[in-house]
Amino acid sequence: MPFQFANVLIFSATAVLFVFGSLVAGRFLRPDAPNREKSMIYECGEKPIGQAWFNFNPRFYLIALVFVIFEVEIAFMFPVAAVYKSFIERGEGLLAFFEIALFVGILAVGLAYVWAMGDLEWVKGLKQDVLAQLREKQAAPPAEKKAA
Amino acid sequence: MNNIHSLRFFWPESVLTVAVLAMLVQDLLVRRSPRRVGLLTIGALFWLALTALATWRTPWGNFPIFGGLLVHDPLRIFFAWLFLAAALLTVVIVPRSKEISSARLGEFFALLFALLLGMYLMASAADLLLIYLSIETVSLVSYVLTGFQRGRRRANEAALKYVIYGGVASGIMLYGISILYGLFGTTRVAGEGGIGAQLADVTSRLFLAHAFGGQPAAQLALVVAVVFLLAGVGYKIAAVPFHMWSPDVYEGAPTPFTAFLSVGPKAAGFAVAIRFFFAAFERQLPGGGYAQVGDLPWPAIIGIISAISMTLGNLTAIVQSNVKRLLAYSSIAHAGYLLMGLAAASTAGVQSILIYLIIYVLMNVGAFLVVIAVSRETGGEDIKDFRGLGTRAPIAALALVIFLFSLTGIPPFAGFIGKYLIFAAVVQRGGFWNVLLAVIGVLNSAISLFYYARLIKAMYLEEAIDQRPFRVPAVYTGVLVALAVPNSFLIFYWTPLVRWAAAAFGGSPSS
Amino acid sequence: MVDFFHAHQAQHYLVLAALLFALGAAGVVLRRNAIIVLMSIELMLNAVNLTFLAFARFPLVANSPMQGGFSQGHAAVFFVIATAAAEAAVGLAIIIAVFRSRTSVNVDEFDSLKL
Repeated sequence: MPFQFANVLIFSATAVLFVFGSLVAGRFLRPDAPNREKSMIYECGEKPIGQAWFNFNPRFYLIALVFVIFEVEIAFMFPVAAVYKSFIERGEGLLAFFEIALFVGILAVGLAYVWAMGDLEWVKGLKQDVLAQLREKQAAPPAEKKAA
Repeated sequence: MNNIHSLRFFWPESVLTVAVLAMLVQDLLVRRSPRRVGLLTIGALFWLALTALATWRTPWGNFPIFGGLLVHDPLRIFFAWLFLAAALLTVVIVPRSKEISSARLGEFFALLFALLLGMYLMASAADLLLIYLSIETVSLVSYVLTGFQRGRRRANEAALKYVIYGGVASGIMLYGISILYGLFGTTRVAGEGGIGAQLADVTSRLFLAHAFGGQPAAQLALVVAVVFLLAGVGYKIAAVPFHMWSPDVYEGAPTPFTAFLSVGPKAAGFAVAIRFFFAAFERQLPGGGYAQVGDLPWPAIIGIISAISMTLGNLTAIVQSNVKRLLAYSSIAHAGYLLMGLAAASTAGVQSILIYLIIYVLMNVGAFLVVIAVSRETGGEDIKDFRGLGTRAPIAALALVIFLFSLTGIPPFAGFIGKYLIFAAVVQRGGFWNVLLAVIGVLNSAISLFYYARLIKAMYLEEAIDQRPFRVPAVYTGVLVALAVPNSFLIFYWTPLVRWAAAAFGGSPSS
Repeated sequence: MVDFFHAHQAQHYLVLAALLFALGAAGVVLRRNAIIVLMSIELMLNAVNLTFLAFARFPLVANSPMQGGFSQGHAAVFFVIATAAAEAAVGLAIIIAVFRSRTSVNVDEFDSLKL
């Protein structure tokens, strides 16, 4: 019993230390240049004060879409974590670990693709079509020759 | 069989999973290369070949794998080849199509492989949850591919309609699944303790009735659940009450994908329907035939859907002016013909479905390929764009005539074999209603000739404003000839088809 | 043996789930806004989740024929949640594409996406 209490204590201490540790580390590492916009309450790029009913910038959707997918996939890792001990008891711990690593790996390829296509960048985000068309125009003549 | 051992029979799906990721990575790598179209096509063909190899090397057998989630049997391998054929045709067609921009070809191929993976799973799913998941995989990818041309308004609206109808259909199906889960305490369809085994067991049936407050109530719940489940399957095969999406989606989607959509997911839907109904409500007899278990009148339900699909599809097709829409309604009618084979609820019926599906891939992809070739040149897909095709592009026109006659089911062409076998299976089953169903099918074939002939008339008897002959890419001509030849000559030698279908379905389970 | 007490308990959840499902279906048919239609579809899926959980918690049949008891219902809910999220993501992406093709390529210019 005392040992289990120590577990909780260590967890709590780590959690507290992590928050303060990263804040303190950030304080020393980041450039310090406050201005009016930066000292406003952070609200994901929206104006924090005003009516709640207004049109959101559709760019939020794009980021949110990518987020939702990856977030829900995390849900699949909880059941594995819950029964992981029984896997270890049966000597299949590495197998279960490999399976979940494969799962995350497949998702990581998706994330890498989104990143490389520039869909995570705020400004470029929704101009992919225009860029693709430009690229098409530049690349089309040689491609056509090659195909013909 | 545990999961590690099951992996031996899971190679095709594993290869496809890798293929999806590999196509994405390759897309990133060759994005700036001027030769990317060629490189990506070679990549896609390579992965298709590897999947084919894995499918070919998978040991023959008939047993559940992954603890009963999937079934490994000849039927699954049969459908795998069918899907591979459809995917191969699409991969060959897409690079020369003007509708898929070369910058996004890699993305298209990656999605196509994901679709193929979903279809593979549909063909072997033996658990309601996995049936739902595989159908949903196919649906989600189909939504994206339908709206692939992001700038086109029609494509976007078609994709939106598809998402909404698809979401509702899969929601209804899922509700049916949850009721079945409640009734039987399991989502497993086949195997020990599955729905089929429980229905075959009289004591468990009585128990079920008791738990649900009497026989009529249990029966009603079961019928409702199965009808709900049919919503999901019917939506995938575009059968009538669930067909509303298909004309819009067929018209709005890029035509190479429409061609794939009209054969691939439809065949996969039939794989699910065959497996579900035969595992849950039929019991295999020692002689190889099937006998119904439980008193659910599922052949009657399927028969009614079939008759309505054929009639409505064909009648609506008559008034269409857009060829893609016309083919969409024709494909609804074909879902009706195919369902007829399922309504026969016999080994012969299912075998005739399998044979018809092979022929359907040959003729329907062919017909869409001509549409692609025409719209590539004229920029439209209306019947008026086909005027004078007989002189402008003689080979394509002749091929289209063959495909259309084959779709009608006129004797010298391959479609006749499929229709003949289906009608024969239904009539063989006997009884007034089955014969009536066959008669409706024959009448519908006659109706379908009317609108197919309208297209043929436009090609040969009406004059185009622009009389210049137009160039059909050499690849397309090759594929058209390759598809038209079996459509014309299969009638002389179709024993292999019958033998193949017989091997795929009706053999006794070995374990 | 049939546990009527449990069957009775499941009933409340089942009726609630059926009502939610019907509400969702009605929303799909009646509402015009595509986003609200998507929300209604989500409601339908969540009604199904409730049915699954009700049956898993208060089973109608005494013993599950499967190993692991009635955990299949819980597993199903996990997968339904994940596919629902994927469907919502694809649906929203397509809605964005529809609104873009309606007005202009520049997203900042259009404001027809009213809630």
